[in-house]
Amino acid sequence: MSGAVLGESRAGISPGRVSSPPAASPDLGPCPLRGAHHAAAPKSGSAASSVVPPRGELSLRIAERAGRSVAVQQFHQGALRVLRPHYLDQSGQVCYVMVNPGGAYLGADLYVVDVEVEAGASLLLTTQSATKIYRTPGSFAEQRMSIRLGEGAQLELAPDQLIAYREASYRQDTHVTVRPTSSFVMAEVITPGWSPDGVSFKYRELRLRNEIQVEGDDGAVLLALDNLLIRPPLADVTGMGFMEGYSHLGSLVVVDPRVDQALADELNRLTAEYGAYSGLSLTRTLAGTTGMFLRSLSNSTEELNRLLGACTGLLRERWYGRAPLNLRKY
Amino acid sequence: MSSAYQLALQQLCDSALPTGAFAHSLGFETYIERGGVADEGSFGVWLSAFISQQLTYSDGLAIRFLYEDADVGELDEHLSAQLLPRQIREASTKMGARLLEIGTEVFPSAELEAYRALVTTGRAAGHQTLAFAVVARSLGVPFEEALAGYLFATVTSLTQNAVRAIPLGQNSGQRLLRKAHDDVAAAVEHVRRLGRDDFGAVSPGLEISQMRHEWQRARMFMS
Repeated sequence: MSGAVLGESRAGISPGRVSSPPAASPDLGPCPLRGAHHAAAPKSGSAASSVVPPRGELSLRIAERAGRSVAVQQFHQGALRVLRPHYLDQSGQVCYVMVNPGGAYLGADLYVVDVEVEAGASLLLTTQSATKIYRTPGSFAEQRMSIRLGEGAQLELAPDQLIAYREASYRQDTHVTVRPTSSFVMAEVITPGWSPDGVSFKYRELRLRNEIQVEGDDGAVLLALDNLLIRPPLADVTGMGFMEGYSHLGSLVVVDPRVDQALADELNRLTAEYGAYSGLSLTRTLAGTTGMFLRSLSNSTEELNRLLGACTGLLRERWYGRAPLNLRKY
Repeated sequence: MSSAYQLALQQLCDSALPTGAFAHSLGFETYIERGGVADEGSFGVWLSAFISQQLTYSDGLAIRFLYEDADVGELDEHLSAQLLPRQIREASTKMGARLLEIGTEVFPSAELEAYRALVTTGRAAGHQTLAFAVVARSLGVPFEEALAGYLFATVTSLTQNAVRAIPLGQNSGQRLLRKAHDDVAAAVEHVRRLGRDDFGAVSPGLEISQMRHEWQRARMFMS
Protein backbone atom coordinates (compact mmCIF):
# COMPACT_ATOMS: atom_id res chain seq x y z
CA MET A 1 0.00 0.00 0.00
CA SER A 2 1.27 3.41 -0.86
CA GLY A 3 -1.12 5.18 1.49
CA ALA A 4 0.10 7.93 3.76
CA VAL A 5 -0.67 7.34 7.40
CA LEU A 6 -2.86 10.11 8.69
CA GLY A 7 -4.88 10.85 11.74
CA GLU A 8 -8.50 9.80 11.54
CA SER A 9 -10.75 12.15 9.64
CA ARG A 10 -7.96 14.22 8.17
CA ALA A 11 -7.64 14.74 4.49
CA GLY A 12 -4.69 13.18 2.71
CA ILE A 13 -2.25 15.09 0.59
CA SER A 14 -1.79 13.65 -2.85
CA PRO A 15 1.57 12.00 -3.17
CA GLY A 16 3.08 11.62 -6.60
CA ARG A 17 2.24 8.42 -8.35
CA VAL A 18 4.33 6.31 -10.58
CA SER A 19 2.44 4.35 -13.17
CA SER A 20 3.68 1.14 -14.63
CA PRO A 21 3.12 0.25 -18.27
CA PRO A 22 -0.40 -0.53 -19.38
CA ALA A 23 -1.63 -4.02 -18.77
CA ALA A 24 -2.19 -6.01 -21.90
CA SER A 25 -5.46 -5.23 -23.47
CA PRO A 26 -9.21 -5.53 -23.31
CA ASP A 27 -11.84 -8.06 -22.68
CA LEU A 28 -11.17 -11.18 -24.54
CA GLY A 29 -8.25 -12.71 -22.80
CA PRO A 30 -7.36 -15.82 -24.72
CA CYS A 31 -5.87 -17.62 -21.76
CA PRO A 32 -8.34 -19.53 -19.68
CA LEU A 33 -8.09 -18.39 -16.10
CA ARG A 34 -6.61 -14.98 -16.54
CA GLY A 35 -8.82 -12.45 -18.24
CA ALA A 36 -7.05 -9.23 -19.03
CA HIS A 37 -9.30 -7.20 -16.82
CA HIS A 38 -8.28 -9.23 -13.85
CA ALA A 39 -4.71 -9.43 -14.82
CA ALA A 40 -4.84 -5.67 -14.58
CA ALA A 41 -6.42 -5.72 -11.16
CA PRO A 42 -4.07 -7.10 -8.57
CA LYS A 43 -5.68 -8.40 -5.40
CA SER A 44 -4.56 -5.45 -3.35
CA GLY A 45 -6.86 -3.22 -5.35
CA SER A 46 -3.98 -0.98 -6.24
CA ALA A 47 -4.08 0.63 -9.61
CA ALA A 48 -0.39 0.32 -10.21
CA SER A 49 -0.92 -1.29 -13.59
CA SER A 50 -3.19 1.40 -14.97
CA VAL A 51 -2.07 3.73 -17.66
CA VAL A 52 -3.25 6.79 -15.80
CA PRO A 53 -3.48 7.37 -12.08
CA PRO A 54 -6.86 6.63 -10.58
CA ARG A 55 -9.32 9.48 -10.60
CA GLY A 56 -10.06 8.74 -6.99
CA GLU A 57 -8.40 6.59 -4.43
CA LEU A 58 -9.34 5.76 -0.90
CA SER A 59 -7.84 3.47 1.63
CA LEU A 60 -9.06 2.93 5.12
CA ARG A 61 -7.88 0.63 7.87
CA ILE A 62 -10.07 0.22 10.94
CA ALA A 63 -8.95 -1.30 14.22
CA GLU A 64 -10.48 -1.76 17.62
CA ARG A 65 -9.10 0.52 20.34
CA ALA A 66 -10.53 0.34 23.86
CA GLY A 67 -13.96 -0.85 22.73
CA ARG A 68 -14.30 1.57 19.84
CA SER A 69 -13.45 1.09 16.21
CA VAL A 70 -11.21 3.80 14.80
CA ALA A 71 -9.29 4.44 11.61
CA VAL A 72 -5.63 3.64 12.16
CA GLN A 73 -4.75 4.40 8.59
CA GLN A 74 -6.52 6.61 6.14
CA PHE A 75 -5.51 7.84 2.76
CA HIS A 76 -7.31 9.45 -0.08
CA GLN A 77 -6.50 11.15 -3.27
CA GLY A 78 -8.35 12.76 -6.14
CA ALA A 79 -12.09 12.51 -6.40
CA LEU A 80 -12.79 10.28 -3.41
CA ARG A 81 -12.81 11.07 0.27
CA VAL A 82 -14.63 10.23 3.46
CA LEU A 83 -16.55 12.47 5.81
CA ARG A 84 -15.67 12.67 9.50
CA PRO A 85 -16.45 9.36 11.13
CA HIS A 86 -19.38 9.03 13.46
CA TYR A 87 -20.88 6.51 15.82
CA LEU A 88 -24.55 5.69 15.35
CA ASP A 89 -24.92 3.89 18.65
CA GLN A 90 -23.00 2.68 21.68
CA SER A 91 -21.75 -0.51 20.04
CA GLY A 92 -18.39 0.94 19.05
CA GLN A 93 -19.06 0.47 15.34
CA VAL A 94 -17.64 3.35 13.35
CA CYS A 95 -19.50 4.75 10.37
CA TYR A 96 -17.71 6.31 7.42
CA VAL A 97 -19.43 8.03 4.53
CA MET A 98 -17.66 7.95 1.17
CA VAL A 99 -17.95 11.06 -0.92
CA ASN A 100 -17.27 11.60 -4.57
CA PRO A 101 -17.01 15.39 -4.75
CA GLY A 102 -17.24 15.29 -8.54
CA GLY A 103 -20.61 13.64 -8.12
CA ALA A 104 -20.29 11.27 -11.05
CA TYR A 105 -18.22 8.65 -12.80
CA LEU A 106 -17.16 9.46 -16.34
CA GLY A 107 -15.39 7.59 -19.13
CA ALA A 108 -12.04 6.01 -18.24
CA ASP A 109 -12.43 7.05 -14.61
CA LEU A 110 -10.87 4.58 -12.26
CA TYR A 111 -11.71 4.56 -8.58
CA VAL A 112 -9.76 2.40 -6.21
CA VAL A 113 -11.00 1.64 -2.73
CA ASP A 114 -9.11 -0.43 -0.23
CA VAL A 115 -10.69 -1.28 3.10
CA GLU A 116 -9.31 -3.35 5.91
CA VAL A 117 -11.11 -4.08 9.14
CA GLU A 118 -8.79 -5.60 11.67
CA ALA A 119 -9.66 -8.30 14.17
CA GLY A 120 -12.59 -7.41 16.39
CA ALA A 121 -13.28 -4.04 14.75
CA SER A 122 -16.53 -2.97 13.14
CA LEU A 123 -17.15 -0.62 10.23
CA LEU A 124 -20.26 0.67 8.54
CA LEU A 125 -19.33 2.10 5.16
CA THR A 126 -21.83 3.98 3.09
CA THR A 127 -21.97 6.73 0.48
CA GLN A 128 -23.27 10.27 0.56
CA SER A 129 -25.37 9.94 -2.56
CA ALA A 130 -26.14 7.69 -5.50
CA THR A 131 -23.28 6.57 -7.72
CA LYS A 132 -23.99 8.11 -11.09
CA ILE A 133 -22.35 6.86 -14.24
CA TYR A 134 -22.54 9.29 -17.11
CA ARG A 135 -21.70 8.74 -20.77
CA THR A 136 -18.40 6.93 -21.19
CA PRO A 137 -17.79 7.15 -24.94
CA GLY A 138 -15.35 4.54 -26.14
CA SER A 139 -14.38 3.43 -22.65
CA PHE A 140 -15.82 2.63 -19.24
CA ALA A 141 -15.78 3.90 -15.71
CA GLU A 142 -14.44 1.48 -13.18
CA GLN A 143 -14.31 0.90 -9.46
CA ARG A 144 -11.99 -1.63 -7.92
CA MET A 145 -12.59 -2.41 -4.33
CA SER A 146 -10.54 -4.59 -2.10
CA ILE A 147 -11.84 -5.59 1.31
CA ARG A 148 -10.08 -7.56 3.98
CA LEU A 149 -11.68 -8.56 7.26
CA GLY A 150 -9.79 -9.94 10.25
CA GLU A 151 -10.98 -12.49 12.81
CA GLY A 152 -14.25 -11.35 14.35
CA ALA A 153 -14.21 -8.18 12.23
CA GLN A 154 -17.45 -6.76 10.88
CA LEU A 155 -18.17 -4.74 7.78
CA GLU A 156 -21.52 -3.47 6.65
CA LEU A 157 -21.32 -2.00 3.18
CA ALA A 158 -24.41 0.00 2.32
CA PRO A 159 -23.85 2.28 -0.67
CA ASP A 160 -26.62 4.31 -2.25
CA GLN A 161 -28.06 3.07 -5.50
CA LEU A 162 -26.18 2.90 -8.75
CA ILE A 163 -27.57 4.87 -11.68
CA ALA A 164 -26.16 4.37 -15.15
CA TYR A 165 -27.16 7.04 -17.64
CA ARG A 166 -27.50 6.82 -21.38
CA GLU A 167 -24.40 5.38 -23.11
CA ALA A 168 -22.68 4.60 -19.84
CA SER A 169 -20.42 1.61 -19.27
CA TYR A 170 -19.32 0.69 -15.80
CA ARG A 171 -17.32 -2.05 -14.15
CA GLN A 172 -17.22 -2.69 -10.47
CA ASP A 173 -14.88 -5.30 -9.20
CA THR A 174 -14.95 -6.16 -5.53
CA HIS A 175 -12.59 -8.62 -3.91
CA VAL A 176 -13.47 -9.60 -0.39
CA THR A 177 -11.30 -11.72 1.88
CA VAL A 178 -12.80 -12.84 5.16
CA ARG A 179 -11.59 -14.99 7.99
CA PRO A 180 -13.88 -17.79 9.21
CA THR A 181 -15.16 -15.61 12.08
CA SER A 182 -15.57 -12.35 10.12
CA SER A 183 -18.96 -10.87 9.37
CA PHE A 184 -19.60 -9.25 6.00
CA VAL A 185 -22.85 -7.66 4.86
CA MET A 186 -23.31 -5.80 1.59
CA ALA A 187 -26.52 -4.36 0.19
CA GLU A 188 -26.77 -2.79 -3.26
CA VAL A 189 -29.45 -1.42 -5.55
CA ILE A 190 -29.08 -0.98 -9.29
CA THR A 191 -31.54 1.18 -11.14
CA PRO A 192 -32.45 0.86 -14.83
CA GLY A 193 -30.75 4.17 -15.51
CA TRP A 194 -32.14 7.27 -17.02
CA SER A 195 -32.20 8.86 -20.45
CA PRO A 196 -33.64 12.16 -21.74
CA ASP A 197 -36.43 10.39 -23.62
CA GLY A 198 -37.54 8.63 -20.45
CA VAL A 199 -36.69 5.17 -21.76
CA SER A 200 -34.79 3.04 -19.28
CA PHE A 201 -31.95 0.59 -19.90
CA LYS A 202 -30.21 2.99 -22.27
CA TYR A 203 -26.79 2.39 -20.78
CA ARG A 204 -24.32 0.22 -22.64
CA GLU A 205 -22.97 -2.12 -20.02
CA LEU A 206 -23.00 -2.75 -16.30
CA ARG A 207 -20.62 -5.29 -14.94
CA LEU A 208 -20.56 -5.90 -11.21
CA ARG A 209 -18.43 -8.67 -9.94
CA ASN A 210 -17.90 -9.78 -6.35
CA GLU A 211 -15.37 -12.40 -5.42
CA ILE A 212 -15.47 -13.55 -1.84
CA GLN A 213 -12.83 -15.81 -0.45
CA VAL A 214 -12.41 -17.32 2.98
CA GLU A 215 -8.93 -17.40 4.36
CA GLY A 216 -8.65 -20.30 6.75
CA ASP A 217 -5.67 -22.08 8.21
CA ASP A 218 -5.22 -24.09 5.01
CA GLY A 219 -5.14 -21.08 2.71
CA ALA A 220 -7.82 -19.15 0.88
CA VAL A 221 -10.77 -20.77 -0.88
CA LEU A 222 -13.28 -19.05 -3.13
CA LEU A 223 -16.64 -19.04 -1.37
CA ALA A 224 -18.68 -17.05 -3.84
CA LEU A 225 -18.36 -15.57 -7.27
CA ASP A 226 -21.23 -13.19 -7.85
CA ASN A 227 -21.18 -11.86 -11.36
CA LEU A 228 -23.73 -9.52 -12.84
CA LEU A 229 -23.55 -8.44 -16.45
CA ILE A 230 -26.26 -6.36 -18.09
CA ARG A 231 -25.76 -5.25 -21.67
CA PRO A 232 -29.01 -3.74 -22.92
CA PRO A 233 -27.85 -3.08 -26.50
CA LEU A 234 -27.05 -6.75 -27.13
CA ALA A 235 -30.33 -8.37 -26.19
CA ASP A 236 -33.63 -7.63 -24.55
CA VAL A 237 -32.81 -7.69 -20.85
CA THR A 238 -36.26 -6.74 -19.64
CA GLY A 239 -38.24 -9.94 -20.13
CA MET A 240 -38.58 -13.50 -18.87
CA GLY A 241 -35.34 -15.10 -17.81
CA PHE A 242 -33.59 -11.77 -17.28
CA MET A 243 -35.26 -8.88 -15.44
CA GLU A 244 -38.68 -10.58 -15.52
CA GLY A 245 -40.42 -7.34 -16.46
CA TYR A 246 -38.98 -5.43 -13.51
CA SER A 247 -36.67 -2.45 -13.70
CA HIS A 248 -34.62 -2.41 -10.47
CA LEU A 249 -32.32 -5.00 -8.97
CA GLY A 250 -31.41 -5.28 -5.32
CA SER A 251 -28.92 -7.64 -3.81
CA LEU A 252 -27.79 -8.57 -0.37
CA VAL A 253 -24.70 -10.58 0.42
CA VAL A 254 -24.04 -11.90 3.91
CA VAL A 255 -21.03 -13.96 4.91
CA ASP A 256 -20.95 -14.91 8.54
CA PRO A 257 -20.47 -18.07 10.62
CA ARG A 258 -24.00 -17.51 12.01
CA VAL A 259 -25.62 -17.84 8.58
CA ASP A 260 -27.65 -21.04 8.40
CA GLN A 261 -30.77 -22.48 6.77
CA ALA A 262 -33.03 -21.28 9.60
CA LEU A 263 -31.88 -17.71 8.99
CA ALA A 264 -32.37 -18.16 5.24
CA ASP A 265 -35.94 -19.40 5.87
CA GLU A 266 -36.63 -16.44 8.11
CA LEU A 267 -35.29 -13.85 5.67
CA ASN A 268 -37.13 -15.56 2.85
CA ARG A 269 -40.41 -15.11 4.74
CA LEU A 270 -39.51 -11.49 5.41
CA THR A 271 -38.86 -10.71 1.74
CA ALA A 272 -42.33 -11.97 0.80
CA GLU A 273 -43.84 -8.92 2.55
CA TYR A 274 -42.38 -6.49 0.02
CA GLY A 275 -43.30 -5.51 -3.50
CA ALA A 276 -40.43 -7.36 -5.09
CA TYR A 277 -39.69 -10.69 -6.72
CA SER A 278 -36.98 -12.19 -4.54
CA GLY A 279 -34.89 -15.28 -4.25
CA LEU A 280 -32.39 -16.28 -1.64
CA SER A 281 -29.94 -19.11 -1.20
CA LEU A 282 -26.96 -20.29 0.81
CA THR A 283 -23.46 -20.94 -0.45
CA ARG A 284 -21.59 -23.98 0.72
CA THR A 285 -19.97 -23.79 4.13
CA LEU A 286 -16.19 -23.32 4.13
CA ALA A 287 -14.00 -23.29 7.23
CA GLY A 288 -17.13 -22.86 9.33
CA THR A 289 -18.56 -19.84 7.56
CA THR A 290 -21.42 -19.60 5.06
CA GLY A 291 -22.61 -17.04 2.56
CA MET A 292 -26.16 -16.02 1.78
CA PHE A 293 -27.25 -14.24 -1.40
CA LEU A 294 -30.51 -12.43 -1.84
CA ARG A 295 -31.58 -11.03 -5.19
CA SER A 296 -34.69 -8.93 -5.62
CA LEU A 297 -36.35 -7.45 -8.65
CA SER A 298 -38.74 -4.55 -8.26
CA ASN A 299 -39.87 -1.34 -9.91
CA SER A 300 -38.70 1.01 -7.23
CA THR A 301 -35.49 1.93 -5.46
CA GLU A 302 -37.48 2.79 -2.35
CA GLU A 303 -39.14 -0.60 -2.15
CA LEU A 304 -35.80 -2.38 -2.55
CA ASN A 305 -34.22 -0.14 0.07
CA ARG A 306 -37.05 -0.98 2.47
CA LEU A 307 -36.66 -4.70 1.78
CA LEU A 308 -32.87 -4.69 2.11
CA GLY A 309 -33.17 -2.46 5.18
CA ALA A 310 -35.57 -4.93 6.79
CA CYS A 311 -33.11 -7.78 6.17
CA THR A 312 -30.03 -5.94 7.43
CA GLY A 313 -32.13 -4.56 10.30
CA LEU A 314 -32.99 -8.09 11.34
CA LEU A 315 -29.31 -9.08 11.28
CA ARG A 316 -28.23 -5.94 13.17
CA GLU A 317 -30.81 -6.55 15.84
CA ARG A 318 -30.26 -10.31 16.09
CA TRP A 319 -26.48 -10.29 16.11
CA TYR A 320 -25.56 -7.03 17.80
CA GLY A 321 -28.69 -5.59 19.40
CA ARG A 322 -28.31 -2.57 17.12
CA ALA A 323 -31.17 -0.54 15.72
CA PRO A 324 -31.93 -0.75 12.00
CA LEU A 325 -29.97 1.67 9.85
CA ASN A 326 -31.48 5.03 9.18
CA LEU A 327 -28.67 6.73 7.36
CA ARG A 328 -30.72 9.46 5.76
CA LYS A 329 -30.84 11.44 8.96
CA TYR A 330 -27.10 12.02 8.89
CA MET B 1 -17.67 -43.53 -39.36
CA SER B 2 -16.12 -40.11 -39.62
CA SER B 3 -14.26 -40.09 -36.35
CA ALA B 4 -13.33 -42.56 -33.69
CA TYR B 5 -15.04 -40.53 -30.96
CA GLN B 6 -18.44 -40.21 -32.70
CA LEU B 7 -20.24 -43.08 -31.02
CA ALA B 8 -18.66 -42.32 -27.67
CA LEU B 9 -19.88 -38.73 -27.89
CA GLN B 10 -23.36 -39.92 -28.80
CA GLN B 11 -23.42 -42.21 -25.79
CA LEU B 12 -22.20 -39.39 -23.55
CA CYS B 13 -24.86 -36.99 -24.85
CA ASP B 14 -27.71 -39.48 -24.93
CA SER B 15 -30.55 -38.43 -22.70
CA ALA B 16 -30.72 -42.06 -21.56
CA LEU B 17 -27.32 -41.64 -19.88
CA PRO B 18 -28.29 -42.34 -16.28
CA THR B 19 -27.12 -39.15 -14.56
CA GLY B 20 -30.54 -38.30 -13.16
CA ALA B 21 -31.21 -35.33 -15.43
CA PHE B 22 -34.90 -36.29 -15.51
CA ALA B 23 -35.17 -35.05 -11.90
CA HIS B 24 -34.09 -31.46 -12.57
CA SER B 25 -35.88 -28.50 -14.09
CA LEU B 26 -32.98 -26.15 -13.25
CA GLY B 27 -35.50 -23.47 -12.39
CA PHE B 28 -38.27 -23.73 -14.99
CA GLU B 29 -40.61 -25.40 -12.50
CA THR B 30 -40.75 -22.09 -10.65
CA TYR B 31 -41.97 -20.43 -13.85
CA ILE B 32 -44.59 -23.15 -14.30
CA GLU B 33 -45.86 -22.55 -10.79
CA ARG B 34 -46.08 -18.79 -11.36
CA GLY B 35 -47.74 -19.23 -14.75
CA GLY B 36 -44.90 -17.71 -16.77
CA VAL B 37 -44.26 -21.02 -18.50
CA ALA B 38 -47.48 -22.69 -19.56
CA ASP B 39 -47.16 -23.87 -23.16
CA GLU B 40 -44.78 -24.54 -26.01
CA GLY B 41 -44.18 -20.88 -26.80
CA SER B 42 -43.48 -19.74 -23.24
CA PHE B 43 -41.24 -22.71 -22.50
CA GLY B 44 -39.35 -21.84 -25.68
CA VAL B 45 -38.74 -18.34 -24.36
CA TRP B 46 -37.41 -19.72 -21.08
CA LEU B 47 -35.27 -22.32 -22.85
CA SER B 48 -33.77 -19.67 -25.08
CA ALA B 49 -32.90 -17.49 -22.05
CA PHE B 50 -31.45 -20.51 -20.26
CA ILE B 51 -29.22 -21.37 -23.22
CA SER B 52 -27.98 -17.81 -23.71
CA GLN B 53 -27.41 -17.24 -19.99
CA GLN B 54 -26.78 -20.26 -17.76
CA LEU B 55 -25.49 -22.60 -20.44
CA THR B 56 -23.32 -19.92 -22.02
CA TYR B 57 -21.82 -18.01 -19.10
CA SER B 58 -21.51 -20.93 -16.69
CA ASP B 59 -21.44 -24.39 -18.28
CA GLY B 60 -20.15 -23.36 -21.70
CA LEU B 61 -17.33 -21.24 -20.40
CA ALA B 62 -16.31 -23.92 -17.90
CA ILE B 63 -16.01 -26.42 -20.74
CA ARG B 64 -13.97 -23.97 -22.80
CA PHE B 65 -11.60 -23.17 -19.95
CA LEU B 66 -11.05 -26.87 -19.36
CA TYR B 67 -10.24 -27.36 -23.03
CA GLU B 68 -7.80 -24.45 -22.72
CA ASP B 69 -5.89 -26.33 -20.06
CA ALA B 70 -7.22 -24.57 -16.99
CA ASP B 71 -6.67 -26.52 -13.82
CA VAL B 72 -9.69 -28.74 -13.21
CA GLY B 73 -9.48 -28.27 -9.43
CA GLU B 74 -9.51 -24.51 -9.80
CA LEU B 75 -12.41 -24.64 -12.25
CA ASP B 76 -14.31 -26.88 -9.87
CA GLU B 77 -13.81 -24.34 -7.07
CA HIS B 78 -14.98 -21.52 -9.34
CA LEU B 79 -18.12 -23.42 -10.35
CA SER B 80 -18.98 -24.20 -6.73
CA ALA B 81 -18.56 -20.51 -5.92
CA GLN B 82 -20.46 -19.28 -8.94
CA LEU B 83 -23.54 -21.52 -8.75
CA LEU B 84 -25.23 -19.39 -6.10
CA PRO B 85 -28.63 -21.15 -6.05
CA ARG B 86 -28.07 -24.14 -3.77
CA GLN B 87 -30.27 -26.54 -5.74
CA ILE B 88 -28.41 -25.79 -8.96
CA ARG B 89 -25.07 -26.40 -7.26
CA GLU B 90 -26.35 -29.65 -5.83
CA ALA B 91 -27.86 -30.73 -9.14
CA SER B 92 -24.48 -30.14 -10.74
CA THR B 93 -22.56 -32.24 -8.25
CA LYS B 94 -25.22 -34.94 -8.00
CA MET B 95 -25.20 -35.48 -11.75
CA GLY B 96 -21.44 -34.98 -11.69
CA ALA B 97 -20.96 -37.85 -9.28
CA ARG B 98 -22.96 -40.15 -11.57
CA LEU B 99 -21.04 -39.05 -14.63
CA LEU B 100 -17.70 -39.56 -12.89
CA GLU B 101 -18.82 -43.05 -11.98
CA ILE B 102 -20.11 -43.93 -15.46
CA GLY B 103 -17.12 -42.31 -17.13
CA THR B 104 -14.69 -44.27 -15.00
CA GLU B 105 -16.33 -47.52 -16.08
CA VAL B 106 -16.81 -46.89 -19.76
CA PHE B 107 -14.40 -44.11 -20.79
CA PRO B 108 -11.52 -44.35 -18.30
CA SER B 109 -8.60 -41.99 -18.68
CA ALA B 110 -5.81 -40.60 -16.51
CA GLU B 111 -7.42 -37.15 -16.58
CA LEU B 112 -10.77 -38.47 -15.41
CA GLU B 113 -9.08 -40.52 -12.71
CA ALA B 114 -7.23 -37.41 -11.53
CA TYR B 115 -10.46 -35.41 -11.30
CA ARG B 116 -12.23 -38.25 -9.55
CA ALA B 117 -9.39 -38.48 -7.04
CA LEU B 118 -9.83 -34.80 -6.21
CA VAL B 119 -13.51 -35.41 -5.61
CA THR B 120 -13.14 -38.57 -3.51
CA THR B 121 -10.57 -36.86 -1.30
CA GLY B 122 -12.82 -33.85 -0.75
CA ARG B 123 -10.65 -31.42 -2.72
CA ALA B 124 -13.25 -30.90 -5.44
CA ALA B 125 -17.04 -31.03 -5.57
CA GLY B 126 -17.28 -32.90 -8.88
CA HIS B 127 -19.42 -30.91 -11.31
CA GLN B 128 -21.23 -32.57 -14.17
CA THR B 129 -20.02 -29.99 -16.68
CA LEU B 130 -16.39 -30.62 -15.84
CA ALA B 131 -16.78 -34.39 -15.71
CA PHE B 132 -18.29 -34.20 -19.19
CA ALA B 133 -15.54 -31.96 -20.51
CA VAL B 134 -12.79 -34.13 -19.05
CA VAL B 135 -14.24 -37.26 -20.63
CA ALA B 136 -14.94 -35.60 -23.99
CA ARG B 137 -11.47 -34.15 -24.17
CA SER B 138 -9.85 -37.45 -23.23
CA LEU B 139 -11.78 -39.07 -26.09
CA GLY B 140 -10.35 -36.57 -28.52
CA VAL B 141 -13.64 -34.78 -29.17
CA PRO B 142 -12.88 -31.33 -30.59
CA PHE B 143 -13.98 -28.43 -28.39
CA GLU B 144 -16.86 -27.12 -30.47
CA GLU B 145 -18.36 -30.55 -30.98
CA ALA B 146 -18.09 -31.30 -27.29
CA LEU B 147 -19.66 -27.98 -26.36
CA ALA B 148 -22.51 -28.26 -28.85
CA GLY B 149 -23.08 -31.86 -27.75
CA TYR B 150 -23.22 -30.92 -24.09
CA LEU B 151 -25.53 -27.96 -24.66
CA PHE B 152 -27.94 -29.90 -26.82
CA ALA B 153 -27.96 -32.86 -24.42
CA THR B 154 -28.94 -30.49 -21.59
CA VAL B 155 -31.57 -28.84 -23.77
CA THR B 156 -32.98 -32.25 -24.68
CA SER B 157 -33.29 -33.36 -21.05
CA LEU B 158 -34.92 -30.08 -20.06
CA THR B 159 -37.36 -30.28 -22.96
CA GLN B 160 -38.29 -33.88 -22.12
CA ASN B 161 -38.87 -32.76 -18.54
CA ALA B 162 -41.05 -29.88 -19.73
CA VAL B 163 -43.06 -32.22 -21.95
CA ARG B 164 -43.91 -34.24 -18.84
CA ALA B 165 -44.37 -31.33 -16.46
CA ILE B 166 -46.34 -28.68 -18.38
CA PRO B 167 -47.42 -31.03 -20.11
CA LEU B 168 -46.72 -30.66 -23.82
CA GLY B 169 -47.28 -33.01 -26.74
CA GLN B 170 -44.35 -35.05 -28.04
CA ASN B 171 -44.39 -33.10 -31.32
CA SER B 172 -44.20 -29.84 -29.38
CA GLY B 173 -41.08 -31.17 -27.75
CA GLN B 174 -39.54 -31.96 -31.13
CA ARG B 175 -40.41 -28.50 -32.49
CA LEU B 176 -38.79 -26.93 -29.43
CA LEU B 177 -35.65 -28.97 -29.93
CA ARG B 178 -35.45 -28.02 -33.58
CA LYS B 179 -35.80 -24.36 -32.69
CA ALA B 180 -33.10 -24.75 -30.03
CA HIS B 181 -30.56 -25.65 -32.73
CA ASP B 182 -30.09 -21.98 -33.52
CA ASP B 183 -29.76 -20.98 -29.88
CA VAL B 184 -27.18 -23.71 -29.29
CA ALA B 185 -25.20 -22.65 -32.35
CA ALA B 186 -25.30 -19.03 -31.17
CA ALA B 187 -24.19 -20.09 -27.69
CA VAL B 188 -21.21 -22.02 -29.08
CA GLU B 189 -20.17 -18.92 -31.01
CA HIS B 190 -20.74 -16.70 -27.98
CA VAL B 191 -18.73 -18.91 -25.63
CA ARG B 192 -15.74 -18.62 -27.95
CA ARG B 193 -15.78 -14.83 -27.66
CA LEU B 194 -16.25 -14.44 -23.91
CA GLY B 195 -13.50 -13.65 -21.45
CA ARG B 196 -12.53 -14.80 -18.01
CA ASP B 197 -14.48 -12.01 -16.33
CA ASP B 198 -17.68 -13.16 -17.99
CA PHE B 199 -17.67 -16.48 -16.17
CA GLY B 200 -20.81 -16.93 -14.12
CA ALA B 201 -22.70 -13.87 -15.35
CA VAL B 202 -26.10 -15.53 -15.18
CA SER B 203 -29.16 -13.25 -15.30
CA PRO B 204 -30.88 -12.29 -12.04
CA GLY B 205 -34.25 -13.60 -13.22
CA LEU B 206 -33.00 -17.14 -13.80
CA GLU B 207 -31.12 -17.18 -10.51
CA ILE B 208 -34.09 -15.90 -8.52
CA SER B 209 -36.34 -18.58 -9.99
CA GLN B 210 -33.76 -21.23 -9.15
CA MET B 211 -33.52 -19.94 -5.59
CA ARG B 212 -37.28 -19.72 -5.11
CA HIS B 213 -37.64 -23.36 -6.06
CA GLU B 214 -36.20 -24.24 -2.64
CA TRP B 215 -39.40 -22.98 -1.03
CA GLN B 216 -41.89 -24.13 -3.61
CA ARG B 217 -44.51 -26.37 -2.05
CA ALA B 218 -45.54 -28.89 -4.67
CA ARG B 219 -42.67 -29.88 -6.89
CA MET B 220 -41.93 -32.61 -9.38
CA PHE B 221 -38.26 -31.75 -9.64
CA MET B 222 -35.30 -31.51 -7.27
CA SER B 223 -34.23 -28.21 -8.81
